Amino acid sequence: MIQRSQLDLRKFVAPEFICGHGALQLAGRYARNFGMRHVLLVTDPGVRAAGWTDAVGESLTEAGISFTIFDAISVNPRSRQVMSGTEVYRAEECNGIVAVGGGSPMDCAKGIGIASSNMRDILAFEGVDRVPVPAPPLICIPTTAGSSADVSQFAIITDDVRKRKIAIISKTLVPDISLLDPEPLTTMSPELTVDTGMDALSHAIEAYVSNASSPMTDVHALEAIRLISSALPAAVREPHNLDLRFSTLLGSLHAGLAFSNASLGAVHAMAHSLGAACDLAHGRCNAMLLEHVIAANYEAAPDRYDQVGAILGAAEGGRGTPAENVAAFRRSLGVTETLAAVGVREDAIRTLARQAYADPCMVTNPRRLTCEDLERIYAYAL
Amino acid sequence: MHMHSDPPDDRDALREKIIGLGETSLHKSYYPELQSRLAELERFRALLDQTHDAIFLIRADTGRLADVNASAVTYLGLSKEELLAMPFASLIAPHQKAAFLETVRKSNEVPSGSRRTCTAYLVSREGREIPMEITVRSVIFGDEQYIVAIARDITDRILTEEELKIKESALESSTNGILIADLTGAIMYANPGFASIFGYEQDGVFMGKNLEAFFATPSVGEEITGHLLDNHTIVKETIGLRSDGSSFHIQVSGSVVQNDAGEPLCIMLIVMDITERILTDQMKRKTYEQLGKNIEQFAIIGDHIRNPLQVIVGYVEMIDDPLAEKILEQSCRINEFVTQLDRGWVESANVRQFLRKHGDGGEPPLQTFIHIGATKEEDP
Repeated sequence: MIQRSQLDLRKFVAPEFICGHGALQLAGRYARNFGMRHVLLVTDPGVRAAGWTDAVGESLTEAGISFTIFDAISVNPRSRQVMSGTEVYRAEECNGIVAVGGGSPMDCAKGIGIASSNMRDILAFEGVDRVPVPAPPLICIPTTAGSSADVSQFAIITDDVRKRKIAIISKTLVPDISLLDPEPLTTMSPELTVDTGMDALSHAIEAYVSNASSPMTDVHALEAIRLISSALPAAVREPHNLDLRFSTLLGSLHAGLAFSNASLGAVHAMAHSLGAACDLAHGRCNAMLLEHVIAANYEAAPDRYDQVGAILGAAEGGRGTPAENVAAFRRSLGVTETLAAVGVREDAIRTLARQAYADPCMVTNPRRLTCEDLERIYAYAL
Repeated sequence: MHMHSDPPDDRDALREKIIGLGETSLHKSYYPELQSRLAELERFRALLDQTHDAIFLIRADTGRLADVNASAVTYLGLSKEELLAMPFASLIAPHQKAAFLETVRKSNEVPSGSRRTCTAYLVSREGREIPMEITVRSVIFGDEQYIVAIARDITDRILTEEELKIKESALESSTNGILIADLTGAIMYANPGFASIFGYEQDGVFMGKNLEAFFATPSVGEEITGHLLDNHTIVKETIGLRSDGSSFHIQVSGSVVQNDAGEPLCIMLIVMDITERILTDQMKRKTYEQLGKNIEQFAIIGDHIRNPLQVIVGYVEMIDDPLAEKILEQSCRINEFVTQLDRGWVESANVRQFLRKHGDGGEPPLQTFIHIGATKEEDP
């Protein structure tokens, strides 16, 4: 059981953010206000194909700011891609970054920022508070409602050599401004909508039960769970409904504010390990692990998990345990795979657990889990 | 807060600003100001890199270089990274290292901001020793003490100084008198040769004196100055005045020293004591005059012999005397003697012409001699 007092010292960091329809078009104004002259516009091929990169580029051009597009970014951005972006940033003499896309471009943009300002390899920053020189100004325009990289102090980068994800956690990674526009969300596929939505739900639940949670993060975490549980299934059904998309975006924003300050837990630690080993979508990894971690953690924060279960149960009409309600919610969104179904073999579990155990997210998990505990959770999820 | 009773003209715009969506509703950020300062620093850095002086920032505690400008890299042939990995003292020529470190130590003792200058050789990557005048100054940035060393290449200056020393030595050692005066004739410099020629024991006593003090006729000084300003050069023989009041013959060669714009700065005179030459010339002139007179006497004597001889020859040819043939024979011999004398005079003319040419160059009494010779050659 976590012993907590509302008098415990806590800190809450949030970027400036503007939310609403048309927020994307303010990119040029804010870039100019930050004194940007030449911007590195970080994105990915999918977002570019959907037209959102061009929309941001037009805004920059209207503000009289030139830019270079860097879109050589994959799902689960690689350290090599970050360093390529850093070279482009230096070569093009950029003095600011605008990221438009989901978690991958935004995490890569954060990496490019700190690698260029510190003139070091991105892998050197692994861990907590290991970024000595802040990055240049970063404007984020999320095109998904899940990663919350646009408000968080996290950047997750895959180490190309060691085939594992590293977590970089630093207040210097919090973007300078986030422009939350629901319109770019309308071009997401149902699968991406679900994966990113489940990611946001995992953020909210893990932040709420985190041993670093606070009254401030609790407010955001609970509101995020409410918004996501109510709006996500509807948004999957009505992808062009801006109100529903905006609710998921707000849910993701609340979840981001919660986890960026309360941090995460075993779900994310295990998902990082799993995603790097199998190159799976991060949100999908979370969705497959969430209920199993809840079951393992339940005794450490029963009231909080019950509250989460109640919100989800109310949405789904279920009366089961929190883990069962989460599982039901997942299935209602069409996520029915197990780890074995996505290619995870039993003999890989030990390595996955060892890597997850070393992840900084484990520090704030409500229950102090052992490496063997993590192995058992992976085994349940097979 | 000041409250207006009437609503603002543009409520919507004001509302936008209150929400934070105004064009200038900016969140607090130091980045634009930082960018501006960085640009300023880059401009300043570019200036430092443009200067020919090599600038080194040295950590006072370790002696290692903290920063260098582009000129330092160029002079030493080492990259900036290489320089920043080494102590500044390792750039100093080994035989001067101790003296330089002492200068640095003293600069550390004095208050921040005061400077010390020394000369030392910096050693480039190729081992070339570059003479530098190094000004060191202790400064404090933040909490750290540094030493700023500004090194100026003095290779050209040293060469110029050496050339000047040679020229100065040449001036000082010249046996001719060399004098530099301003445009009014006031003396600025006189070499020891000048002092010796004019009978002064010290060469410093001339400072401020005017040229006129050194000529028997004082106005000559003014004439020389005036001539130089008009014509820029002069060669003149005149009478100098020694310190004891005695006079002597001098030759003065002068020129005007001009700046790059052609404006006169001062005048320079070279003075030679030509008394001996003048006296020799006078003696030679007298000798040649006497020689000319003597040769004229020879010509007269020749005529005085030939005229009676003509009479004797004419008389003997008219008489029938057994001795007549003998007399004619002897008369011819006497005529040959006189003719040989004439030839000897002609040959002696070449000798005297040579003496005049290579003796003093003075006007010889040549015309008189040629005239006599020509007369004799016309004679049958």
